[in-house]
Amino acid sequence: MGFLSPWFLAGFAAVGIPLWVHLLRRHRSEPLQFSSLMFFEQRTQSSIKHRRLRYLLLMAARIAVVVLLTLAFASPFVTRSVPPGEGTGSLLVMVLDRSFSMREGNRLAAAKTEAASLLNSWRPASYGQVLALDSQVHLLTQRTNSVDELRAAINSVEAGDGRSSFGELARALRSLSESEKLPLEVHLFSDMQRTSMPSGFADLALSSDTRLVLHNVGSEKPNWAVESVTAPRVVNDPKKVRILATVAGYATPAASRNVSLVVNGKTVSTKTVDVPENGRATVEFLTLDAPHGWNRAEVRIDSADTLPADDSFLFAVERSDPRRVLFVHEGRQRRGLLYYKAALESTADGAFQVEAVSADSVANVAPEKFAFTVISDVASLPPSFERALVQSIKSGGSAMIAIGPAAAARAMVPILESKIAQSKYAARSGERFLALGKADEAHPALQRTNRWENVKFYQAFDVDPGDARVVARLTDQTPILLEKRVGQGRVVVFTSTFDNISNDFPLRPAFVPFVERLARYLSGFEENSVGYAVGSYLELRREGSASRALEVLGPDGKRALSLSEAATTQNLQLTRPGYYEVRRENGRHELVAVNPDRRESDLRTIPEETLNLWQGAPQGESAAAATPNEPREERHNLAWYFLLALLAASVVESLIASRYLSTSKETA
Amino acid sequence: MEQRFLNPSVLAAISGLELVAKTVVDGFISGLHRSPDFGFSQEFAEYRAYAPGDDLRHVDWNVFARTERAYLKRYRGETNTLVTVLLDASKSMAFSSHSVPKIDYARYIAASLTYLAHHQRDAIGVVVFDDEVRDYVPPSGRQGQMARILHAIERAEPGTRTDFAKPFVLCQDLLRRRGIVVVVSDFWESPETVIRTTEPLRFRGNELVLLHVLDPEEIRPSLREPRILLDMETGDSLQVTPEYARHEYPARMEAHIAGLRSKAQAAGIGYFLAVTNRALDECLREYLSIRQGRM
Repeated sequence: MGFLSPWFLAGFAAVGIPLWVHLLRRHRSEPLQFSSLMFFEQRTQSSIKHRRLRYLLLMAARIAVVVLLTLAFASPFVTRSVPPGEGTGSLLVMVLDRSFSMREGNRLAAAKTEAASLLNSWRPASYGQVLALDSQVHLLTQRTNSVDELRAAINSVEAGDGRSSFGELARALRSLSESEKLPLEVHLFSDMQRTSMPSGFADLALSSDTRLVLHNVGSEKPNWAVESVTAPRVVNDPKKVRILATVAGYATPAASRNVSLVVNGKTVSTKTVDVPENGRATVEFLTLDAPHGWNRAEVRIDSADTLPADDSFLFAVERSDPRRVLFVHEGRQRRGLLYYKAALESTADGAFQVEAVSADSVANVAPEKFAFTVISDVASLPPSFERALVQSIKSGGSAMIAIGPAAAARAMVPILESKIAQSKYAARSGERFLALGKADEAHPALQRTNRWENVKFYQAFDVDPGDARVVARLTDQTPILLEKRVGQGRVVVFTSTFDNISNDFPLRPAFVPFVERLARYLSGFEENSVGYAVGSYLELRREGSASRALEVLGPDGKRALSLSEAATTQNLQLTRPGYYEVRRENGRHELVAVNPDRRESDLRTIPEETLNLWQGAPQGESAAAATPNEPREERHNLAWYFLLALLAASVVESLIASRYLSTSKETA
Repeated sequence: MEQRFLNPSVLAAISGLELVAKTVVDGFISGLHRSPDFGFSQEFAEYRAYAPGDDLRHVDWNVFARTERAYLKRYRGETNTLVTVLLDASKSMAFSSHSVPKIDYARYIAASLTYLAHHQRDAIGVVVFDDEVRDYVPPSGRQGQMARILHAIERAEPGTRTDFAKPFVLCQDLLRRRGIVVVVSDFWESPETVIRTTEPLRFRGNELVLLHVLDPEEIRPSLREPRILLDMETGDSLQVTPEYARHEYPARMEAHIAGLRSKAQAAGIGYFLAVTNRALDECLREYLSIRQGRM
């Protein structure tokens, strides 16, 4: 037995008070003057003895009150060993990590074995539950006291491809503790990867009645992985391709690795790279000989480590002809076309090909056959073309509209029908000009453009944005770039021209990335990244779009969506690595490559101090020492029992005292 | 709520004994103005048929003129009577369990009775005694008598032990004229001794009243633990248990009071118990009611 507050034991000194009152003070009887002793008699020894006995009982009761009060304040406790899982109505929660890293060696088997052995020593007096952990927490059983059910759930756990998140686990345990209203005894069987930790340690906080026991089934092992691949999604010219692959080594010595580029199962190129100790190396492939259409490509290394699943990185590449861009202009004004075409066709991969058509002869052109349409300062469009263009935008197409003096004569922005309020001028003399003011630099049109540095605007048209989004404004608050979604498509309005008259933008370095990034954005393949991580979501359709069915085939070639899901779902969670084929509602065919989260490749474990801190053990105590399935020591506070005994002693004292003192009460 | 009776502790706060007596008696009389039959003397009592030998001065001639029968008009006290208060000033009278000692209460009673009698033009006197006569003011109706009486009462301080025999023999010599003798004492003697000692006063034609002043603690002591009690008069000590004080002592005290009352009645002596926690005017009223009942 011990005491949580032993200094309260000093209260035992108060025992002296009843001793003094009963054994010392009572002998001091001062004579009392009375008018006459005529009717008094000397009484008598027997009565005094009787009274003394009652005094002793009263004194004992009072001493007991003092002793019990002191003990209650000192908070005595006893320690007793409790088998794992057995507690005072606690819930045994077994969490098995099934993230991608558990594929290494026999980690998952070790975790299952440990969980099963814990279950063997568990007495089903209380309830248990099995959870599986990756990027989310999955309940494999409900709360149950059936050992067989728990064991079956443990055996059913298989290694997944997701990333483990201890922050998500802590959040789930907090809500479980709240909902179950029971103390939780949580056993986590995991390889304790460092990358599973959340950014802030506070996210790991558990509720006060949760006891965490960590079972580390992993160890630090060297591991090489293809960390990332950067490749264009669309290849127009196989000779102008640049594929960058990053090979990373975690806890590895310096070594040479063979890196292969595999397209459609065929190795097209192999290179050797020196990966420094515990570092990264980059491999560059400059050609991609692939047939037209979508190609399943991957970068593979020969790692010879214990986690081969991360030795390849999948990506999808579409080989296609350059995309055509329809450029509509006024017949006489070709300066804008000159600058725009030069900028767009100068990009490295030659993905776009500009086809210029004057406004007069565009009536019979079908805009849906182009990646997107540019309308450069056009006074009026043939109504048939305009209708066709609007229709094509609504079904997912895009358009770029530049407003110049010719367009301003109409006072309305084509397609959008937004009002052009006025023209803003700045004289060329005296260095008076307008520059870019507030801008959303995250917008593709402004990425890598260095905020349109040194670009001077001399004329811009103040367009009423309406419900369009203003991406950028000039210094006088005139909207210079607007974007509006129309149906499934989008329209971007540039309230100046591309002709080096209203501004000097075409002469500035920012113009080429502006045109290129915007073209990629409008044509729908703005991303160079080709990888999706397992657990991420693929956007299938935009919000509010018509519910036309689409089709998604999973890595195994089977439909990933049911028919009803195919008609309504907006996002698809990519749960398995491999290639997903998406046939969108506008007829576009798309191939998506999904890889396991590469953070799982880092097999370094969390420092022991951090683990101890998380499970609340004292620093320096081995986390492993706390994990075995040995009986644990549990403290039981006895203060409540002493308080109850104190209550009983107080009642006894009151009864004895009231009986004794009743004489004086009556005569008073 | 208006206090109906005068609390002894309130009276104790009044410094002058005359003022105390005046407060008690005036309030008392004004409260009883509809009861004119109370009093010591000069009160009409009844008509009685004339008998040979009766004094003709008492014949009511008006009645005789109307009825031709002689009737005597009788009064309760035909002459001014003598009222003598014997005040016990022994040491036991100093006992007090609250703010008013017995001696003060006895003083108030003595002062009030003499004031009342003086108010009715009776001659008043006082004897202060313990084991002998300490002070004596002969009964008189002269002017200034009241002041002398009050002075004597005020001067009475608890002295030594009570001894009824010696002072009462002296009193028999002092009180030669018939009157009312009121003995105010705590009577810590056996009833036989008290009656035997006081009875000779009655033989001389005096009306004798024993006014027994006791503290409530003397009737029912409240001992919380065994205590050694010290007799105030003799200095004797005794260890007493609360049980005894709780059960046996009150019984014996009650027997003592009952014995005193019954033996006094048997001897034709008035007896009245005044407990010091009772209101003084209430006590006085009760005393006079009892007296009036006897007359």
